[in-house]
Amino acid sequence: MSNNTLEFSPSTPIPAHLVSQVQSKLAYVDESITAAHVAETGDQITLQLRAPLNKVAAASLNSKIQIVVEMMTKGSFQPKVEVLEDYRDTPVPYDRDPMDELVASGEVSEEETGVFTFGPLFSRLVDYFESRFLELAASFGAQPYRFPTLMSARMLDRVDYFRAFPHSLTFATHLRADLDVINKFAEQASYEDGGLNASSDSFSRVKAVLSPAVCYHLYFSLADRPLPAENMIVTGVGNCFRYESTNLTSLERLWNFTMREVIFIGSKDFVLEQRELAREFMRPIFEELGFAYHVESANDPFFIGEFRKQAAFQNAFQLKYEVRARLPFKDDTLAIGSYNYHQDFFGRNLNITLSDGSPIHTGCAAFGLERTVFAFLSQYGLDQNDWPEVVKEALS
Amino acid sequence: MDTSKIELLDKVRKVIAEVLNVSLEEIVPGFSFGDIPQWDSMGHMEVMLALEEGFGVAVNADTIGELVSLPIIVEHISKSGHV
Repeated sequence: MSNNTLEFSPSTPIPAHLVSQVQSKLAYVDESITAAHVAETGDQITLQLRAPLNKVAAASLNSKIQIVVEMMTKGSFQPKVEVLEDYRDTPVPYDRDPMDELVASGEVSEEETGVFTFGPLFSRLVDYFESRFLELAASFGAQPYRFPTLMSARMLDRVDYFRAFPHSLTFATHLRADLDVINKFAEQASYEDGGLNASSDSFSRVKAVLSPAVCYHLYFSLADRPLPAENMIVTGVGNCFRYESTNLTSLERLWNFTMREVIFIGSKDFVLEQRELAREFMRPIFEELGFAYHVESANDPFFIGEFRKQAAFQNAFQLKYEVRARLPFKDDTLAIGSYNYHQDFFGRNLNITLSDGSPIHTGCAAFGLERTVFAFLSQYGLDQNDWPEVVKEALS
Repeated sequence: MDTSKIELLDKVRKVIAEVLNVSLEEIVPGFSFGDIPQWDSMGHMEVMLALEEGFGVAVNADTIGELVSLPIIVEHISKSGHV
């Protein structure tokens, strides 16, 4: 074991169903951590560090790790996993990580950690898969909306986002409107030691963040008034930003990604019915595209303090189902989309009502475009001769 | 409703009122999840944990999804014998 590796035994063994969830949260525990691994048995945590720690620092880190483990595991219960579709056995011809080839061919270039530029082949695949998701939108007669990349911090506060997902926020700011501040910045700012070298008091207070989701924009636009119709179905695409610390690896987790959503608003029955119709509509499309995938119940990546209760609630009320594509090269799966039901959460918090005065219910079908392409290339590789006919034809 | 159930109803009302930080009068007999802003998803989980502690109710995906109103909660506790 190198000096840059630390091993801990959690005071509470981590149940199997929480191993990956705890592991992903360890990235946020301390900036000294470059990678974290939780053994499948749940009784061993291995951390890779930027530099060796002295005994005091190591003890402090151990203490933080134990707090995380305890908060996420204490009182947790085995979630009910419901598999709605299972095409994991669909044969696919490729089993290597496509990343090396994508980088070597110039199809993928990493500008900053988790921030990528994509070349023509990748971009055409993004467009093609998005066109298939737009078929879903068209089947509902969804109205097109355009949403901004920035999202109001004031409105996010109204839906309690800062308590549920503080770890993944990306803040937008600017220099204060003060000539001295701007001049000083222009004279002195430079990029040094892994960051911009500028005084933090040069920046304005945060009024906006980079959007972590697409559908929130629609709900915010409808706030504090009755819904103008009995129900609404809308589609939109947008850049989304979720900071995932040292989990930002490869194309599986991007800091900046694109999501196409079809959004449903109305009564409980209306939203639940549309969510189910969306899943049924997409099933033959995923089959036609040749994906090895399954659809199962899931939960959002809530932060440590909220995780146990929120995840349990989502699971119990079957609020989220993920489309998970196989990644043959690592014998794992990757969420490329989800079918979500938010109950009347946005209706209550944003004061949006139906004609009878009750709060609206909302839901959405959301698809990550870059992840969809990455999963496809992980299953079929970059050689178009190996692709399903329908994809080959579309890109020829 | 027999005396023991009325007593149980009162006990559960008190627990819910305390957990959700509302007055006892607000916890009317048909009180349900979503009736007041405090009984939202997080409030519901607090109610569930209090029922676990106070009445031995097992907290799992089934009970979280099912125990969504005062009458159902009282019925569940009554049947399970954790009074």
